[in-house]
Parts: sequence; C-alpha cells; structure tokens
Amino acid sequence: MIRGVELGLVSCHGCDLVIRMRGVDRGAIAACPRCDAPVRFRKRNARNQVLALVVAAAALYYPANALTIMYTEQFPERRADTILSGVKFLWDRGSLALAAIVFTASILVPVVKLGVLGFLVISTTRRSTWRPRVRTRLYRMLEVIGHWSMLDVFVVALLTAVVQLGQFARVAPGPAVLPFAGVVILTMLASASFDARAIWDPGRDPQRNRGSGGVHE
Amino acid sequence: MSGSARLAVCAWHVAPGTGVRAPALGLQLAANVPDVGIVLCSYCDTVHRQIAPVRHEMMRCITCGSRIHRGNDDLGAMLAVTVTAAIALVVANALPLLTLTSGGHQTRATLWQAIGASYDRELPFVAIALSATLIIAPAAELVLLLWLLVPLSLRARPPGFVAMMAVLRALRPWRMVEVFFLGLIVAIVKLSALATAVPEWGMFGVAVVAVALAALASFDPGALWRRAGEVAA
Repeated sequence: MIRGVELGLVSCHGCDLVIRMRGVDRGAIAACPRCDAPVRFRKRNARNQVLALVVAAAALYYPANALTIMYTEQFPERRADTILSGVKFLWDRGSLALAAIVFTASILVPVVKLGVLGFLVISTTRRSTWRPRVRTRLYRMLEVIGHWSMLDVFVVALLTAVVQLGQFARVAPGPAVLPFAGVVILTMLASASFDARAIWDPGRDPQRNRGSGGVHE
Repeated sequence: MSGSARLAVCAWHVAPGTGVRAPALGLQLAANVPDVGIVLCSYCDTVHRQIAPVRHEMMRCITCGSRIHRGNDDLGAMLAVTVTAAIALVVANALPLLTLTSGGHQTRATLWQAIGASYDRELPFVAIALSATLIIAPAAELVLLLWLLVPLSLRARPPGFVAMMAVLRALRPWRMVEVFFLGLIVAIVKLSALATAVPEWGMFGVAVVAVALAALASFDPGALWRRAGEVAA
C-alpha cells in the first residue's frame, strides 16, 4: 500500500483532482489548478475543531432530551412530550416499527455519533494503530446516519402546522426543539471536520513530515 | 517553505495555445482518463492506479474498503433525473402534504404552511432550518445542476462553472428531503390519535424528490469536470 502523502500526491477537497505537491511542506496550502480551492495534505486543525464541536453538541444533548419537545392540547387533555415520551406514545399506539425508528433516529443516533466522534478524535490524537479499517468504517457510518436525527424536528413542525389549521386541538413546539436541532447540526459539522486519513497516518514512518523525499526527483 | 505561503501548484506544464487556465497536462490527469489516472482514497490516502471501470461498476479501496467515488457518468441520464426532481419539487411545494379530518372539519397542510407555522410559534430558527433543508438546498442544487448540465450537454462551458461546482458540493449534506418524508409518516401516525390523517399528492412529490436526489448523489461529479475540461480544450 502506497499512500498519497508518501508520493507527494494529494487530492483536491473541492474537485477530487489529484495534484502533485512533491517536496512540499506537510502543512503548506496550495491552490488547486482546476478549481482554485485550497489544497493541503490533511485538514488543518481538524482535531481541535472536531473536539470543540463534539463538546458543544454533547452539552446540548441533555436539554434536547430533558426538556419538552412538543405540547399537545386536546380538550380536556393536555400533554407535554419529551422525545422519549413521544417514542412511548408511538409504542403504546401499536406503531412498534415507527417507535423503533424514532428511538433510533432521535436518541440512539446522536449518542452513537458523539461517542464515535470522541473515540475517533482521541484514538487519532494518541496515534493509535488499533484496527484502522474498523475505525474508517465507523467514520463512514457517521456520514450516512448524519442527518437522520433531524426527524423529530420535522415531525414537530409538521404537527404544529397541521393541527394549528384545524380547530379541534393545538400542538406547539417545546423548548427542546432548538437544542435538539443544534445537536444534529453540530455533530454533522464535527464529522465533516474530521479527517479520516489521520486514522491511517500512525505506524507509517511517523518521523516523516514532508510530502516526499527527493528520492523520486 | 513556510506554512503560511500560498503555493501555486506548478507541477504541470501549460501547453501553449490551449487557452485553458488550468494547465493542460493537469487537466488530463484530472480527467482521470481510464487507464492513466491515479486516484487517492479520500478516507485512507491509498494511491490507486485507476483502471478503466466497467459501467456501473463500483470501486472499493484495497486498504480500507471505502467506496472510491466513481458513479454513473452519463450526463444525459443525470439531466433527466434532475428534471424529474425539479418537477417533483414543485409538486411537493405546491400541493398539500396531507388532509386532516375531524368531525366534519377538514384541513389541508402544505410545506409552506408548516414553515409559516413554526415561524409564527416564535421558532424562527426552526423555520429557517426547514426552509434551508427542504426547499432552498434541494432547489438550489437542482437549479445549479440544470445550469451546469444543459450547456455541458450542448458542449458549451457554463458560465461560472468552477464556482457553481463549489456551491453544489457545499450544499449536498444539507438537504434532508428523505428525512422529511419519514417525518411525514411519523406525523400521520401521531395525528391519527387526534383525527383522520390522509396523505396527499404533495407527499408523493416529497417521496419522488427524495428518491431523485439520492439518485443524483450516485452520479460521478468528476464527469462534469471531465466534460468541462473537454469543452474548454
């Protein structure tokens, strides 16, 4: 296995053009000849940025789950639902599959995202060589599940709109909506800031800090 | 070299008389011409020599198993899917998503009403999130794709090609129509506790947009760059 950084090759983040930056400093920035985007071997500051976003998202996770996400009022009944009680509501109505989907998307996925991102950042910071293939797969999983947590925000907005138009009941969004959307957006930004190539960097001549030696020149 | 220096990449020679801003040889490699190109895995940085792929074949990285982006490169098919998605997006926006019936009282809700309602309930942020992920991001993507694909299909270089491609790439993660479709299903089940909820044509439109956008994501953006390179050269 030969890696791009060893040959001084890097692929543009903007257009996937493979660019030769032979003998160029690892931290240097170049402009892509095709799309003019800044090109560097690794995302700059990736670690700090991901950590900051993960911590911010984790801080929002508590209010997102503890506060009320939706108020429902149908005379004479009035209920305030958190995300979890909303899942229970679906479960009690017999929509087991939907309850499982909402539970996964709203509660499980954010936790998994935060845990995996934290694990990836810490393991790459410590230059771990533990199962890079598994860790890469975890990262790709994050990219796929990234936005599905937005589900509950959409549901609340829809219910608010539809029921407001009818006269028979009232639905209003609760204070948890904002932190909840915040968790989703921040974790999406965090996984976009992470550079998966860093998983594979340790164990491959860690002393090297240049794009390529003069061997091939 | 200092890290702050913004280096020009001058590894490739500019062929005289091509009139291309990007160096010609660079464009050749950029074009990932089958048999000649080098591809780097974006997940683990492994260097691959690109072999001529059989159509619809998926290439995986030998080191980490990630998919190496090489989707369908048929620009005509891409244009067809874009037009389909655009029509479906209009349907999803214009027609009601669902009808609610309760004791002879009937209401219909559209996407725009959902956005308006969250704005009225002093949640402007939610209204912004909804319009950004459900209308602005998909609509902008489709308009940009039309802007790019129509001239490219006619073998002309679209104005502002590079900038449009950058915007397109930045927009991609922020469209969430498929999540909204699942949200509609959940909402209908929850509403059935209060009243009778029935899906309408707008919801069908949302489903088609979701499928069409997923299909568009499977096309190879490199095909656009290659065609643009050919056209300019």
